[in-house]
Amino acid sequence: MLEDYFRQYGLIAIFTAIAVILPGSLLVVSWLLSFLRIRPSKPNDVKRSPYECGMELIGDRWPQFNFRYYMFAILFVVFDVETIFIYPWAVQFKQLGFFAFAEMLVFILILVIGWAYAWNHKALEWR
Amino acid sequence: MTLHDLYLLSPELSLASLGMVVIILDMVLRRKGVLAAVSVVGLLAPLAFSISLWGDLSGEPDGQMVGIFNTLVVDKFSLFFKFLVMGIVALVVMSSVEYVSRLRQFQGEYYGLMLFSASGMMLLAATTDLISTYVALELTTLPLVALAAFLRDSRSTEAGIKFLLLSAMSSAVLLYGMTLTYGFTGTTQLVEIFERLGASLDATVPFGSHALFLGVIMIVAGFGFKIAAVPFQMWVPDVYEGAPTPITAYLSVASKAAGFAIILRVFYIGFGEISLDWAALFAVLSAVSMTVGNLVAIAQKNIKRMLAYSTIAHAGFLMVGVASIAARVPVGETTLGPSGVLFYLVAYAVTNLAAFFAIIAISNRTGSDMISSFAGMGRRAPFLAIILAFAIVSLLGIPPTAGFMGKLYMFSAAMKSDLAWLVVVGVVNSAISAYYYLKVIRVMYMVDPEGEEKIHVAYAPQAALYITALGILALGIFPGPLMTVAEKAVAVLFR
Amino acid sequence: MNLENFLIFSGIIFSIGLYGALSKKNVITVLMSIELMFNGVNIALIAFSRYVVPQRIAADPVAAEAEVARALAEGTALGETVLSTLLTGQVFAIFIITIAAAEVALGLGIVIAMYRNRETVDVTQANLMRG
Repeated sequence: MLEDYFRQYGLIAIFTAIAVILPGSLLVVSWLLSFLRIRPSKPNDVKRSPYECGMELIGDRWPQFNFRYYMFAILFVVFDVETIFIYPWAVQFKQLGFFAFAEMLVFILILVIGWAYAWNHKALEWR
Repeated sequence: MTLHDLYLLSPELSLASLGMVVIILDMVLRRKGVLAAVSVVGLLAPLAFSISLWGDLSGEPDGQMVGIFNTLVVDKFSLFFKFLVMGIVALVVMSSVEYVSRLRQFQGEYYGLMLFSASGMMLLAATTDLISTYVALELTTLPLVALAAFLRDSRSTEAGIKFLLLSAMSSAVLLYGMTLTYGFTGTTQLVEIFERLGASLDATVPFGSHALFLGVIMIVAGFGFKIAAVPFQMWVPDVYEGAPTPITAYLSVASKAAGFAIILRVFYIGFGEISLDWAALFAVLSAVSMTVGNLVAIAQKNIKRMLAYSTIAHAGFLMVGVASIAARVPVGETTLGPSGVLFYLVAYAVTNLAAFFAIIAISNRTGSDMISSFAGMGRRAPFLAIILAFAIVSLLGIPPTAGFMGKLYMFSAAMKSDLAWLVVVGVVNSAISAYYYLKVIRVMYMVDPEGEEKIHVAYAPQAALYITALGILALGIFPGPLMTVAEKAVAVLFR
Repeated sequence: MNLENFLIFSGIIFSIGLYGALSKKNVITVLMSIELMFNGVNIALIAFSRYVVPQRIAADPVAAEAEVARALAEGTALGETVLSTLLTGQVFAIFIITIAAAEVALGLGIVIAMYRNRETVDVTQANLMRG
């Protein structure tokens, strides 16, 4: 039984080895062929670009986001994480009874006030 | 969770609701002048609840009411701090009326955040569980961070971001300490931590165990940040300088009071078994804080920065009382250390608030925080100058002021717990501090003014100035009644 | 797996976060590092809550088990049972996660204000006040 189990991992190991060796050996072969002058070397701009076809690349790797994006990020982080309190409550909903239900309503009410506040101060608009 | 639990929590709940009401009123109302009045008058609700709770305590056999799954306690200790925090908030709101009226927007948020933070401080003094301690601590700190960055100019945002990053880092360290304590004892309740430590300590290791050694030091680092003790003080000068001045005043007294409340409760109740170990730690921190704070303050040219270093030094004086623990004090006089801390906190609150209120009133007109801009204030603003001078005398600790009585209690507690070396350090430091404190008085009375224009104070800040100045004088002449209350309050720490 | 592995792992995560918080220049990166510190704490908390059995339960495991079973069957509130002592660490972790989120939100808010003022989020540039 246990050997069968590890044999599964053996298969994965073989696949991994093939996945590494095949492209690796192709690169090595191409590199060796360049010494024998069989592989031509004529670089130009199109060939050097990361993708030879498709969209033109704009800008570099680390563009700055528009900082308005952070306004939405802030609101998302806050409201997203607050739901963590709702999960344990939902799992134990029946055992916890009415008082916990009322408490959760109060909690959500506070979140709604915060959301209404953000709305009122135009934090939800892309200006 | 029952309705009775809600009643126990009612001062904090009503204070937080008041904060929300003020913010909502700000959205609805056109006349912003009402907001300060609502904030001060609204404080009557938590005040009434607190008085009612104080009355109910006399019916309890062990002088406390525990609620919300043993995470919150109402006793005289927590109520003492509730009254103190409410008093401070009322005074700071009164003194910031003029300052706030010049803000173009977010006036309601200013008062609202202040009230939220105050509810966190009240909660902090009442928690008996490490989880709720952490929640209350962040409820105290996060609104203060927002307030420090409130002006949104370069200096204010710089103060805010420094405050936030350093306080978040110190919270993480504090949490690791709490986690180690939890791992060692299997509980987060202070009383149970105390019970379980008794059985499982190893006398040959400092703090009884390696886990606790690391844990307690990390907890001290976390709390040390909140009370501005050296070496966790690097945020203090920058935040004090960059934050709006009324917020600096609030930060320097209220957040310090709440920090000491939780230190007393966690260490005296939770870690009572290893008191000799952490008392030594606090004694060293105290000596270092006093010395560093006073020496660096001498070089300061900005009065807010000078008072920031002075507040570090006063954190040092306060820690003398924390270090003077019962284990080394003869029976019958056991409470002098912590009750002295409570007295000193009140004395420091009235003194520092008086100083800051005078500074706010003066720099509202001159537009500068430099000590040199206080030149000739003895003639330009005689009332403000005399109160600022009086507050400085009290900070220095000369009779007949509150500051003197506070230092007297601290040092006599230290003498009784065999900490004579700490008393020597304290007295030497008081002498050093005279140099930079008296410099301000000299500038105000001996240097010629830059202009002749008189400085007038609005009605509400003037009332706040009178109250604080009277407080300094009253506590300096009749310290007895407050000391009696403080002794009753700290009785819960010794059981 | 035992408790030590988790604690060493949590210690490593916490230390990486502390190093990042003290050495990085970008405010956002510092915030991320602090978040890493909180997560190190969370790992330790969860590990403790799984491995450190509260003494009350260790003293009488049979009674504790019966108490949990009764609580689940009758729907008694958690605060009154052994369950709540078992779950302390996890509850602590939940609170840390939410408060850390609030901290990050506030941090981002201040970063926006700072960026509007000076067009930079480099903490080493935040040096207007000295002394």
